[in-house]
Amino acid sequence: MYTKDEIIATCISHQIPNGQLVAHGIATPLVAAGYLLARLTHAPDLAFISAIGQSVCRDWAPLGVATIEKLWISQGLMSINFVDAVCSFIPRFHPIEFFRPGQVDATGNFNNVFIGGSYERPRLRLPGVGGIPDITPFGENIFLYVPRHGRHTFVEKLDFTSGIGHDPTTRPGKGPTYLVSDLAQFDFAPESGRMRLISIHPGESLGRLQAKTGFVFEYQEPVAETDSPTPEELRLLREVIDPMGIRMLETLSGRRRRQKLRDILREESAFFAGFEDS
Amino acid sequence: MIDKTLSLSDAVRYVRDGHTIALGGMTIYRRPVAFVQALITTENPPSKLTLFSFTAGLASDILVGAGMVERIRTCYFGLESFGLAPMFTNAASDGKIEIIEESEASIANGLRAKMAGVGFMPSRAWQGTDMFSVRPDVRIIEDPYNGRDLTAFPAIGCDVAVIHVLKADKFGNCQLGGNPTIDHELTLVADTVIITAEEVVDSLETSIDFSGLPVSAVVHLPQGAWPTSCYPTYPIDGDEILRYIDACNKGEFDAYIRRLSQ
Repeated sequence: MYTKDEIIATCISHQIPNGQLVAHGIATPLVAAGYLLARLTHAPDLAFISAIGQSVCRDWAPLGVATIEKLWISQGLMSINFVDAVCSFIPRFHPIEFFRPGQVDATGNFNNVFIGGSYERPRLRLPGVGGIPDITPFGENIFLYVPRHGRHTFVEKLDFTSGIGHDPTTRPGKGPTYLVSDLAQFDFAPESGRMRLISIHPGESLGRLQAKTGFVFEYQEPVAETDSPTPEELRLLREVIDPMGIRMLETLSGRRRRQKLRDILREESAFFAGFEDS
Repeated sequence: MIDKTLSLSDAVRYVRDGHTIALGGMTIYRRPVAFVQALITTENPPSKLTLFSFTAGLASDILVGAGMVERIRTCYFGLESFGLAPMFTNAASDGKIEIIEESEASIANGLRAKMAGVGFMPSRAWQGTDMFSVRPDVRIIEDPYNGRDLTAFPAIGCDVAVIHVLKADKFGNCQLGGNPTIDHELTLVADTVIITAEEVVDSLETSIDFSGLPVSAVVHLPQGAWPTSCYPTYPIDGDEILRYIDACNKGEFDAYIRRLSQ
């Protein structure tokens, strides 16, 4: 058996070719888990650039919350300040990056600014765009992930477009080429540019997927099933990459998420008691 | 060497009504939390501030909660794995605060323009997005060499930058301990630079992250980033950040700040 976060992390891992540069944004532990899984399986020559610490790393360490800086700073090959990373390094190298949209439409345009109401009086203000409107207009390695698939995220019409979607005919960039959720994985149809089902995760059905998606996506029958994580992939995720289960923070919500966060902090303070000394 | 060391209570007087104040560090790492606490509990605290933060987090949320911020310039406002920044999210959803919507590229290019002494820097960012609808001041220009569209990001400066560092000398030369963010650039675009430091020494001779030349004040402030981290001296105090979020969600922001300042 495995959990939703584990199949998402495994799908992310399978998208990463060896020898690439991957970028890791803030508050995306599932993505970090997927990258590290790739690094420890089929992609030993990955290089990482992380928003936290702004370092380029080849080496790695297990995930943390309170001590997350240690992972990226102490393992860094070189440090790049944010201005250089944004103005020079990222535009030059087009790193692979996974973004988590607040809303996404059928062609992969996405929104991380606000949901509902108006810009001036939103129903919910989101944290903001980060580097999304900077990279999506020209990036060639844009990937999306949605930890909790639902109609509030997969919408017919966005409230705001901060990330450019997959529309090769009119736009300079390619936009996102892939999306994984806790239910399925998608690419984009070359003709229409619309989201197209690659496979449904084991135990999920096409009907349920359609009911939880606010727009019509393309698919072919018979619908393929996503490969389950292998025992070795699960062992690496659970025992080596993320023993505290930090990746789960992205699939849980409300009270359960809060409890998980408290558990992680408790475990982490015991685990990293030597933070100051090492 | 000029000695710029100053008490915390004197340093907060640099921040005046209507100022644009920039906070160093990022989200929940190396934020000048103790300075912000001192600022909001000082006699006659400044009002109508514009807050400038590359990625705004705990220190910024406290300033917003104290009602001192009129406007925010940032590309991310949140507490990372701890969730939304409660006071910001409420204020923004109620339309009580103006947001100057930025991205990483608009801030980075804006800083580069300011440092270079020019009005803008060109970039490929934002094109095709809705960012221009909420930032009508940002213009598209034509590349004079090939005629392509470019986004002209305006220069960004600030009145005061407050940066918490691992180690400083009395002149203001600083070591950050990793996670450089945009702190060096902030020292180059701010009219006044205030450093709060875990440790202040007479003189740093090598391996500084930025020079003390533009620094106005150096305040010795151990634990000055708590409950955010100051790597490698201390990690994030996650339990305290959760206590803060709980207090805010119960409408007890003021009581929390009072307790913190005792």
